[in-house]
Amino acid sequence: MSAMEQLYTAVLEGDAKSSALLTAQALEAGADPMSLITGAMVPAMDEAGRRFEAEDYFVPELLLAARAMKASMVLIRPLLVASGAKSLGRVAVGTVKGDLHDIGKNLVASMLEGGGFDVIDLGADVPPEKFIEAVKDKGAQVVCLSALLTVTMPAMKTTIEALKAAGVRDNIKILVGGAPVTAQYATEIGADGFGENANSAVALTRRMLVEQVADAQLLSEGK
Amino acid sequence: MRLRVIACEVLFREISHAAALSPHQIDVEFLEKGLHDYGGAAMRKELQFRVDSADPVKYDAVVMGYALCGNGLHGLRASRLPLVAPRAHDCIALLMGGRERYEEYFNSNPGTYFSSTGWLERGQSLVPLARVRTGIDVTLQSLIDKYGEDNGTYLFAELNKYQASYHHFVYIETGLEADKHFEIEAKTSADKRGWEYSKLDGDLRLIRMLLNGEWDPKDFLVVQPGQRIVARYDADVIHAERGEEAP
Repeated sequence: MSAMEQLYTAVLEGDAKSSALLTAQALEAGADPMSLITGAMVPAMDEAGRRFEAEDYFVPELLLAARAMKASMVLIRPLLVASGAKSLGRVAVGTVKGDLHDIGKNLVASMLEGGGFDVIDLGADVPPEKFIEAVKDKGAQVVCLSALLTVTMPAMKTTIEALKAAGVRDNIKILVGGAPVTAQYATEIGADGFGENANSAVALTRRMLVEQVADAQLLSEGK
Repeated sequence: MRLRVIACEVLFREISHAAALSPHQIDVEFLEKGLHDYGGAAMRKELQFRVDSADPVKYDAVVMGYALCGNGLHGLRASRLPLVAPRAHDCIALLMGGRERYEEYFNSNPGTYFSSTGWLERGQSLVPLARVRTGIDVTLQSLIDKYGEDNGTYLFAELNKYQASYHHFVYIETGLEADKHFEIEAKTSADKRGWEYSKLDGDLRLIRMLLNGEWDPKDFLVVQPGQRIVARYDADVIHAERGEEAP
């Protein structure tokens, strides 16, 4: 097995110690930090997500894969920052006001991080102002809102309205998710996308960023 | 009227009490509480099967002893009989007598963990499923046995972190308790976690009206055959919509 394959396996199987060790060895041997992300982290987290959808993996296995990925990212990230490499995009993630459930949101944050995004985790019970701040002051391009209760779902709507009122809605993409959230509700409240589970958040975020670039282009061309 | 009631076992005492006092002839089918842990779509599928099984010759309506419950009622179709459901987000609203009181309490008391007799005495039925899918409610030792010392300890911390956001245990007393043992259990549970403890008086008004056939449109939705229940997340919680296909 190549070093890259070993790292892939360590992440997928949630072996954080091996993941960190293999990453350190690879970096020492002169591996490109970015290639470790694209060659091992992203495919390992993709596979973990696929297994989750196939019900071979459950929440604990996903959490462990994310933990192993993070153990590796701790070593890789400073090198990326030093080299000035740009992340795929900056994403703010949080559970909306009134809702304290954070396991799903944490998984989404981990999957996104493993997918190569720069993630701002705002935590749970997040008031709209915090999301606005993440966009205005921290440059979030995509905002992911989570809710686990039907009683807190309306806070997704008020958060989107607050982003509009703050004048930042058009510059960002908004994704929503959480057990009771539906695609129909996402459309109704004016979100740009809906993720069925933590795994789908990564592909969706990639698509959103592509759309965002296209939107900006259209805008600059005055169309 | 003859009513077919399909109810969650978490409301066993309250529904049984209301059934005994109802002027109507009532048959109740209780389903296990863990159902809502399967997720909205799977719960609806199971409920749909029960709704469809109600014999239109034997009954005049199917009555749901459920709230919206994480979208478990979203898309539920009235097949051959009218279908009645209370306008509420979850069983806590049903036990508090209405969604307004529940929402007001929920919003002004963040970090509250709600409990009732049903949750206290039947809580364990939900655990096996939750254990497999989420790892919640699993002991540290069994996580270590399965995932090893290091990963097991990590998982236990991650899966129980959310508990740090709760700081208030509310026990809803409905007056149907045989003795004080639920209250003592609730108080002990709160003390063990270091949470503040409160007891709230329940209000069985909604459950009573549901089984008495007093379906005021303000508090209940009556869906006619050919219509389905859809969640709207507004003040009315649920609406009726035409259509055979689940949304």
